[in-house]
Amino acid sequence: MSTPNVQLADPIRAEDLDRILDETGRGRAAVIAVLQGIQARYRYLPEAALRYVCDHSEITPAAIVGVSTFYTQFRLRPAGQHTIRICHGTTCHVKGASAITDALRRFLKMSADDDTDPERRFTIEKVACLGCCTLAPVMQIDTVTYGHLTTDSVTHAVTDFLARQQQTGNTAALPHAAPADALAEIRIGLGSCCMARGSREVRDALWRSLGQLGIQATVKPVGCVGMCHQTPLLEILRPGEAPGIYAQVKADDVPKILRQHFRPRRLSARLRSAAKGFLEQLFTDEAWEPASRHRIDYRDPPIAAFIGPQKHVALEDCGQMDPVDIEEYVRHGGFTMLKQCLTQRTPEEVIAIVRASGLRGRGGAGFPTGVKWSSVRVASGDDKTIILNGDEGDPGAFMDRMLLESYPYRILEGMAIAAYAVGARTGVLYIRHEYPLAVARIREAVARCEQSGFLGESVCGTGFSLRLQIMEGAGAFVCGEETALIRSIEGERGTPRLRPPYPAQSGLWGKPTLVNNVETYATLSWILKHGAQAFAAMGTERSRGTKVFALAGKVNRLGLIEVPMGITIRQVVDDIGGGIADGRRFKAVQIGGPSGGCIPARLADTPIDYEALVEAGAMMGSGGLVVLDDADCMVEIARYFLGFTQHESCGKCTFCRIGTTRMLEILERLCGGTGKPADLDALERLSAAVKRGSLCGLGKTAPNPVLTTLRYFREEYEAHAAGVCPAGQCKALITYQITDDCIGCTRCAQQCPVHAIPPTPYERHAINSEKCVRCDGCRTVCPAGAVVVMSGNRIVKHGHAKH
Amino acid sequence: MATLNIDQRPVEVLAGTTLLAAARTLGIAVPTLCFRDGLEHVTSCMLCVVEDVRTGCLHPACSTPAQDGMDIATASGTVLEARRTALELLLGDHLGDCEGPCTRACAAGMNIPDMLRAIGAGDLHGAIRIVKRHIALPAALGRICPAPCEKACRRSSQDAPVGICRLKRFVADADLASSAPYLPDRLEPSGFRVAVVGGGPAGLSAAYALARAGHACTVFEKSDRPGGGLRAPELCDTLPPAVLDAEIAQIARLGMTFETGVEIGVTRSLQDLKQRFDAVILAWGAGAADLLDPLGLESGPHGITANWRTHRTGDPAVFACGNAVVPGRMAVRAVAQGQAAALAVDQMLRGEAVVGTLHLYNHRLGGALAPDELAAFMAGAAPEPRTEPADRATGAYAANEATGEAARCLHCDCRKPGTCQLRRYADEYGVNPRGWKPAHRRPVEIVRHGNTVYEPGKCIACGICVRIATAAREPLGLTFIGRGFTVRIGVPFHESLEKGLSRVAAACVEACPTGALAAADRRARRSGEVP
Repeated sequence: MSTPNVQLADPIRAEDLDRILDETGRGRAAVIAVLQGIQARYRYLPEAALRYVCDHSEITPAAIVGVSTFYTQFRLRPAGQHTIRICHGTTCHVKGASAITDALRRFLKMSADDDTDPERRFTIEKVACLGCCTLAPVMQIDTVTYGHLTTDSVTHAVTDFLARQQQTGNTAALPHAAPADALAEIRIGLGSCCMARGSREVRDALWRSLGQLGIQATVKPVGCVGMCHQTPLLEILRPGEAPGIYAQVKADDVPKILRQHFRPRRLSARLRSAAKGFLEQLFTDEAWEPASRHRIDYRDPPIAAFIGPQKHVALEDCGQMDPVDIEEYVRHGGFTMLKQCLTQRTPEEVIAIVRASGLRGRGGAGFPTGVKWSSVRVASGDDKTIILNGDEGDPGAFMDRMLLESYPYRILEGMAIAAYAVGARTGVLYIRHEYPLAVARIREAVARCEQSGFLGESVCGTGFSLRLQIMEGAGAFVCGEETALIRSIEGERGTPRLRPPYPAQSGLWGKPTLVNNVETYATLSWILKHGAQAFAAMGTERSRGTKVFALAGKVNRLGLIEVPMGITIRQVVDDIGGGIADGRRFKAVQIGGPSGGCIPARLADTPIDYEALVEAGAMMGSGGLVVLDDADCMVEIARYFLGFTQHESCGKCTFCRIGTTRMLEILERLCGGTGKPADLDALERLSAAVKRGSLCGLGKTAPNPVLTTLRYFREEYEAHAAGVCPAGQCKALITYQITDDCIGCTRCAQQCPVHAIPPTPYERHAINSEKCVRCDGCRTVCPAGAVVVMSGNRIVKHGHAKH
Repeated sequence: MATLNIDQRPVEVLAGTTLLAAARTLGIAVPTLCFRDGLEHVTSCMLCVVEDVRTGCLHPACSTPAQDGMDIATASGTVLEARRTALELLLGDHLGDCEGPCTRACAAGMNIPDMLRAIGAGDLHGAIRIVKRHIALPAALGRICPAPCEKACRRSSQDAPVGICRLKRFVADADLASSAPYLPDRLEPSGFRVAVVGGGPAGLSAAYALARAGHACTVFEKSDRPGGGLRAPELCDTLPPAVLDAEIAQIARLGMTFETGVEIGVTRSLQDLKQRFDAVILAWGAGAADLLDPLGLESGPHGITANWRTHRTGDPAVFACGNAVVPGRMAVRAVAQGQAAALAVDQMLRGEAVVGTLHLYNHRLGGALAPDELAAFMAGAAPEPRTEPADRATGAYAANEATGEAARCLHCDCRKPGTCQLRRYADEYGVNPRGWKPAHRRPVEIVRHGNTVYEPGKCIACGICVRIATAAREPLGLTFIGRGFTVRIGVPFHESLEKGLSRVAAACVEACPTGALAAADRRARRSGEVP
C-alpha cells in the first residue's frame, strides 16, 4: 500500500478528506457517508481520494470500490458543470420522457457512450422519479425544474437555464418578517412537488409583496395538500373571514390576490400599488384576469369529489401545519400518544392495540405490523434497533417523500412508540438521498425533538431513551428490501440475503431489529388516539384502515390521496381522479410499481385490498397508482418496468441477474420489431422461473408487470410478434404519414428535428421514414390533424387535432 | 434439534443446520456452485434449490435453516426444472469453449491444444500419450488426414491455422524413432475374445482400443497384410509402407492376433466367428457390399444398418463401423468409429449399458471473433506466421520448427475442462442453453497477470474468490464491481491480479467453480484434463 504521506494531486487536498473522515468517523460502516462527502466536495469520486481514505481509515480498498460502484449516486468520472436530472417515473415515461431525453442529447451533441456533453457543461442523469407527476414530463437542471416538456421546449429550457446563469446578482427575496401579533396567516404548500410547480417563487413573491404593501400577515409554509393538480395552492386565513383558497397560483398573481384580502396600510404604498396595478393592466399582453379566477372552494364539486372519498389518517391535518414547527405539532395534540404509552401503557398493551387495529405493513408486502412487533419484542437480546425504511424508489411513487416532508414529527412519534413497544433504544432513519428536502426536515425535526425531550435520554421525562440517526441512501432500489437496507446501513453493497433469519431475530449488526415503512409509522399516533376499533372499522376484513397512493397518469385530477381500504379502483379513477383526461378511454391501472401489475379496466371493480390485488396479479406495493389510457402500449409498459428492475437488480442471484436481462431482451425484441410468436412462450416460462427461483422480493416480483400484461393483454403481445403496435407507441413498429388533410402549412417541416419532412408550401407534405426519429413532434403541431401513425398498414393513431 | 423429512427420509439435525448439510447427512447430494465449506454462504447460484413439499416453494438449500416438521424434496420435477433453468441462464451467458474448436472438429476427438502445449514444453512423451489416447495410427494419419481440425482453428482469423496435422506426425515419427516407443497401459486380461473383421484403419483402431481394455482380440484381414485402405497405391508416396508397417507393429505389441487371407462370408462364416468369439466388430473397407445378404444382417442402401452411436447391428453381439456402414474416405472418421465400436463392445462385455461414446456437455462460444477478442487470444500466443518445414521433400518439421509452430496455438479451449463444476452439472442436468442466448454476445476478455488468468465471461459472480481474499486479509483483494447484470469481479483501483491476490491466488484458482480463474502454466492446466 502507499505511504501515509501520500502526495495527492491538485486539487484533492488531504485536509478536505480528513475533515470528511472526522465528520463521518473512520470505521468500516462509514463508507457510504464518506463517499457522499467526497462527492459533495468534488462532484465525483477521484481515485486518489478513495485511496487516501483507505490509507486513513478502516475502510478497505475492496469495500470502497465495491460500494462506490454499487450505488448509482456515485460518479467515478468527472461530471459537467450542471446536472440535468430527467425524470423517468411512470407518468413521465408514458408522457414521453424517452423522446425528451433523445431530443436533449441531440441538442447537446452528446455521444452515445457519454452522459456529459463535449463542452462538459451538462451531465444528464436518469432519475427514477422526481415526484412531480403532475408536471410530467419533467426535468431539473440543478435546482430549476422544467415541466410539461416537449421535444421542442426541452431545448428552450436549456437556453433559459443558461440565460438565468448569465443574470448576475441574487434575486432571491428576503424572508418577510411579520410582527408577532399578525392576525392573518397565509399558507403556502412547500413540498418538493409544489416547489417544482413554482411555490417557492410564489412564496418569494408573497414576501416581496407583503413588504411592499406593508401588509401584516404571517407566511406559513405547510406540508403537502395532496391536490397536486392544483398547486401552487395559497390559503389566506383572516379572523372573521371565510378562508380564501387560490389554486395554480403564479408569482405574478400574488399582488392581485393579496389586494382581494388586504388594503395596503400606508397611503404611499396604496398609491404605488394602485398605479402599478393600473400599469399592469395597460401593459400586460394577456387580458386582465380577475384574481378570483384562481379562487376555489373546498365545496366546489371537483374539489369535493377529489377530497370526499378520502380518509386522512397518515395525512391528518393535511396542508394545515408548518412541517418543522414542533410547537404547532404539540398544540395539535402531538406527542400525547407517546407520553400516554410511556406513562400509562406497557409495551405489550401497545402491541395489543396495534394488533387489534389490523394494521399491516404499508411498504407493500402487508405483513401484520403487530405480529412483527411481537417477534422483535420477544427476541432475545437487549440491544434492539428500529429502522425507518424511507428508501422509496418505485417510479411513480412519492408517498413516503411527501409524508417525510410534511409530517416529520408524526413519523418520529410513531417511531418512538414503536421503539418503546419492541424495546429498542436506538434507531436509524434510512432516507434516499434523492429526497434532500425530506432529509433536511427530518434532520431538523430530530434535533428539535431532542431539544424538547421527545427523543434522546429520558424521553418525556421517563426512563425510556431513544437515539435516532439519519442515513442517506445512495441510489439503489433494492435497498428497499429490508435485508439489503440493513447491509447498506452496515456500509456494505446493498445485496439482500435469504430470510429466515428475519431482522426481528437477526438484523442490524446481528441484533433484533424492527423495520417499518414510513407510512406505517405515520399511522400509529392516529390509531392510538382514535383507538384500534376506529382504524379497524375502515377497510375490508383482511385489509384494515387506509392507504396513501400517488395517483398519477392519464386522469384529470392527480395528486396524493389517502383512501379507506376496500375502495374500488373505479372509484379512485372516476371519482377522485375525475376520469380519464383528453377524452381518451380508460385502459388499465398500474398498481404497485415494478413489483405490481396492470389491472385492466374491466376489473376496475377490484377493491384496494392486499389479497384482492394479489389475486388480480398485481400487488399493493408502496402506493404508486398510474392510470393508463388507450394510447398506452402494454408491451411497452411491461418493458419499461422490467427495464427498471433489471437495472436495479443487485446481481447476486442467477435468476434475477440473468433472468430479468433475458426477459428484457425478449420484450425489447417485441417492441423493436424483431419478436417472434415463440417469444411469448419463452417469456412466460422465464417469468415463472424468475418469480419462483429468485432470492429476494425484487426478483420474485419483477415478472409481475410482464405476467399481468400477458394475462390481460395477450393480444397486444401477439400483435407485436406480428409486427404491429396497436397503441402506436413502439417506434420500430410504426411509421408517420401525412394524409390528404394536409393544408401545406409547413409547420411539421419546421418542427422536425432531423429534417425528415421537406417543406413544400401549399402542397401535401411527405415524411422520409428513413430519417424520421418518431419524436411525434409533427403530429403534435399539425393544425389539420393530417399526421397519422401507421402500424401494420393501418392507422393506429390519428392526427393530434382530431380525437 | 429439528426433525424433518428429506426425500421422504426422516432426519434429525441441530437447530440452525442448513438443508444442504441436513441432506448431506443422509448422503443426498445437492448441487451447488457458490457454496464452499468454511466460507460465509451468499446464496448466489440458486442451483441448490429444493422444494418445500407443503408450500410448493423453492428454497436455496445452502442457506435455508432446517426447521422442525419440514418436508423437503431434493429432486422433484419442479426442482430439476429450476436447476436446469439456472444452469441454462448461466451458460446462455458463458463466453467460452469447453473444448477447442479443433478438438470438436476432430472426428476422433483428440485433445489437440493439450498436444500442442506438450510439444511447446518439449514434452514429446506427454504429447504421444495425448495423441494415442484417441488415435491408433498417428504417423499414418499425420500424413494423409485432410485435417478438419485445421479448418476449425481460430488462429485462421489472424493469419493461418496451426499446423496441427504435421505436428501430430512429428510427435508420432519422433516416438517411432525413439528407443522405446510409447505403449499404452492395458488393463488386466478380461477373458473375453473379440473378432475384428477388417484390418484397415477402423479395424486397427477397434483392435487397439479393445486390447487396451484387456480383451483378447483377433483381426481378420482378407489380404496378406493389415492396413486396408491405407495401402492404396495412390497413398504410397505420402504414406510410405514402411511407416505404416512400423506403426502397426507398434500397436500389435499390445497383444493381438492377425489372421490374414480370411474373408468373412467367403472363407469363414459370421456364424463361425460368433461361436468362437464373445463379440464381432465388422470393420471392412469398401467393396464388400455384395457380401451383406449372406450375413443375415439388416442392411440399407450404403451398408449394414447399425446404431449410429453404439454401432450395434440387429444382432446384439455384432457391431459394425467404418465403410461397412457408410462408405467414406476419411481415415480419421474410420479411426473414430473403430474406437467407438470398441467402447460399445467393452460396455456390453462388462455388462454395462451399451451407450457408446458419451460426450460431456460441450459449451461453444459461437460466432466469429471480433478484432479485440482475437487480440485477447493472441496475447497468449506466438505472433509468428505459420511455419513451413525447411525439409520440403518430406514435409516433416524439425524439432525447433515443431516447438515454434505449437506455440502459435491460441489456447482457446477451457483451462479447467475436467474440474469445471458448471460443465459437470450442465452434463448431469441435460442443459441446452440455446434458448437463453443473448442476441449479441458480450466480448471475450482475457486478463493475464503472472500465473493467473481471469476470464470475466466465464465468471458466475459467485464471489468465492472475493470471500477467500477477504478472509485471507489480502491488502487489496478482490471485489464486486458494479451491480446487476454487468457486475464483475476485479481488483480495486484497476490493479493487477498479482497485486490483488498476493497470497491466495492458487487457492482462488482451485476454488473457482468454473474456468473463470485459472492458472496460466501448462502443468496446472493438464491436471484439469478430463480423466
